[in-house]
Amino acid sequence: MSEMQMALTNTAGVTSVMSFWVFVASNGFKEKKDLLIKIGSGALIMAFVSLTAAIIFRGIDAQRFPLANLYESLLWFAWATMGGYLFLAQTYGIRQLGWLASLTALLMFLYGSWLPQSQHDITPLVPALVSYWRWVHVPPLIISYAMFFLGGLAGFIQLYRSGRVASMFSAIVTVLLALLAIVLGTFTSVDTAWLQILFAGASFFGTVVSFKLLDRINKSKIDLRGAELYDDISYRCIAIGMPLLTFGIITGGLWANHAWGTYWSWDPKESMALVTWLSYAAYIHLRVHRECSPEKLALVSIVGLLLTLMTYLGFNSLGLGGLHSYGKFK
Amino acid sequence: MHITDEPKTDQKPWQSLKNGLASVKLTIFLMSLTALTVLLGAWCPQESQTGKDKVVETFGAESAKILTQLGITDIYHSPFFLSLIAMLTVNMIACSFLRVFPRVKLLSKPLPFLTGKDIVKLPFNTSIPITRNDSSLLAVVAVKLSKGGYNVKTSDQKILAEYGKYGRLAATVTHIGLLSLLVGVTITSWTGFNGFQPVLLDNHLDFQESEHSKLWVGKLPSWSVRVDATKREDYPTGEPKQWFSTLSVVDKTGKVVRTQEISVNNPLTYEGVDIYQSSWGLDNVVLNFNGSEKRLDLRPMGKLYAAFLPLDQDTMMLFSIRADGTPIKVFAKRPDWEAPRLLTQLTQNKPARLGPVTIELKKLVPITGLQYKCDPGLPVTYFAFAFIIVGVLMAAIPHRHFWLSLDRNADGNTLYMGGRSVKDKVGFERLVKRMASDLEAEFGPATEKAPSSELSVKVHPKQELATAAKGDSAKDFQGDN
Ligand code: HEM
Repeated sequence: MSEMQMALTNTAGVTSVMSFWVFVASNGFKEKKDLLIKIGSGALIMAFVSLTAAIIFRGIDAQRFPLANLYESLLWFAWATMGGYLFLAQTYGIRQLGWLASLTALLMFLYGSWLPQSQHDITPLVPALVSYWRWVHVPPLIISYAMFFLGGLAGFIQLYRSGRVASMFSAIVTVLLALLAIVLGTFTSVDTAWLQILFAGASFFGTVVSFKLLDRINKSKIDLRGAELYDDISYRCIAIGMPLLTFGIITGGLWANHAWGTYWSWDPKESMALVTWLSYAAYIHLRVHRECSPEKLALVSIVGLLLTLMTYLGFNSLGLGGLHSYGKFK
Repeated sequence: MHITDEPKTDQKPWQSLKNGLASVKLTIFLMSLTALTVLLGAWCPQESQTGKDKVVETFGAESAKILTQLGITDIYHSPFFLSLIAMLTVNMIACSFLRVFPRVKLLSKPLPFLTGKDIVKLPFNTSIPITRNDSSLLAVVAVKLSKGGYNVKTSDQKILAEYGKYGRLAATVTHIGLLSLLVGVTITSWTGFNGFQPVLLDNHLDFQESEHSKLWVGKLPSWSVRVDATKREDYPTGEPKQWFSTLSVVDKTGKVVRTQEISVNNPLTYEGVDIYQSSWGLDNVVLNFNGSEKRLDLRPMGKLYAAFLPLDQDTMMLFSIRADGTPIKVFAKRPDWEAPRLLTQLTQNKPARLGPVTIELKKLVPITGLQYKCDPGLPVTYFAFAFIIVGVLMAAIPHRHFWLSLDRNADGNTLYMGGRSVKDKVGFERLVKRMASDLEAEFGPATEKAPSSELSVKVHPKQELATAAKGDSAKDFQGDN
């Protein structure tokens, strides 16, 4: 890594930490709220700009498109999360999602920086990846994952604003357990079978419990306009993520057909992307059907977040590899 | 985009069957079930890809047996999965023709202008009193809307505007794509074939052992492909760099109709069949022992190939070769020797003498691995891909309707504005509210200072949803997308 690139990546990391704490603080100091939110957004914009530059510099250093291993893809994910949030903040004038977006970006930075040095180094590509299709196939996928993440995060806030505090906490615990499984799977040698059970069990029971808890309404927390706003935002994120995911899956098929004469081979990661795609297709039809309450839809978007997590990081870290795995780092 | 399942009274049985098949609830259920099934398939190694051994290795013999019995180890060919896909197909065809495609007609149906009485029934509406009634009011609104990308129509004291009209075609375009995908995949499955055949130099690839689906009505080619030459190119390190085969297409009568050299990523295409170079090896070596020919099979051993020739109980002759064109090393091996002993090296046309025996290398026979496929549905599939991508892109476009009416009442004029937006409702409402407060400042009662919008504008979200759902005069433009 060149020094320039290192400096830029570090700046992006530090500013996103800053923006996270400033956003969090803005919820505490009512009088200074507006100012703090301005500072937080400013820091996030800075993080976004320096990360953009860092990615470009990495591409120049490597003399190739800088999206070839997990570390690079995490940089892209953080970038897309920040960019997506800034777009939403611009269109909706929202402020609550900010700290969640910077937290997500931050976690991705941390995860990326914990990866072994070999991931940070710029290495030549394996022959299978030397193709212009990589440009076309991968970025839309990463950006769609980021949008689905934001959609799920907006779902959390929707639950809070509609007074479903208990359900929200249960959903948060669910996602944290899933993340734990992934972190353990990446950095420790815990048997992946247990981690699969942790991920799947937490997701399943957590989701069921969260649905059950929807009946518990904390009236004092209800903010109807807010709930409606975040419902709308969640839908918007998913409506943007869906075409990107579709495009990514289809171009993957075209690449495969070009390279070895078949566009679909039920490779595990491929199948998992299809699962995610089908789930969001179901979500779209739930919307179209108009019988599902916004709170239920918020939970569905959180289930989507879990599936996205599984597709993006889970298959690699929980030992389900297949053709697309980035490899093990232990 | 408002779907209510039709009333269930007074229906003929087939009518209710039709509605059942076209129900969106069923769609959501089937999609979720399909997603779960594919999830299982992604989790469990599939026999058809990784082989049975991998399943046993992953789960142990006992569990593997249970998984196999449940059909999970070959889930994409299981009757369960296939019938799920079949049901989704029926559901999608029914929905598309009964619900989705008919909606295209709505696009060309002109929307009515509305008066204040109807506007207040819209999901989102607001009204402001107007005192300075000058003719520029409507023009101001029209310009604002046009700038925002709306298609604006004005009449007298009314405005009707629409945004993202073609977003309403999203469902139609996506579903045409999905149906075409099914058609494309079906054409391929019924008429296409594929396979892999290792072919020796000078032999023919004849497609007889190709794989195809059970319901197959296709035809195998009457021509065959002859391997005229095949070679391997190495890096200086000895790693293979590229494989080449020169192929001739030979028709029924034995006439060569096409000759082409293929390599990895550079297939031969003839009459819709693609032939790919997919692997390469040396198959056998022909040697001459004191005038009599003997063919020995070569086995890959790491980077080398080796052939074995037992001489008696204990003695074995070993022939090893790295690549075509390099000399063959001849070893002898006995149990009491520590390592095989090199006896001699053979190159073409240079016989070697080993005691009473003369050995001569006649030829090395390479074998080329040819992968072939015929995918007649591919053009349809690509067409489908394009439609699906465009369709889901269109679904991201928010679709909005906006109405405005300036009504004269006894106590002055009131400006009614309202509308609906299926996605990005909040963005739409912010636009209308901002416009209302601007208009009130400019044309409203002459107060000291422009009032803050939130306070003076009456906003009635929600309340009207109930009215709208009951189906009154506003119904036509309520339930759509
Ligand atoms: C498999 C059976 C399916 C059925 C029965 C079905 C049915 C429907 C129906 C009834 C609508 C509402 C149309 C309207 O009111 O205009 C719709 C909309 C839609 N469907 Fe499907 N669908 C199916 C599969 C899919 C799949 C796999 C996708 C993939 C993404 C998809 C994408 C869409 C989209 C994008 C819309 C438009 C949503 C919007 O306007 O926001 N459909 N579908």
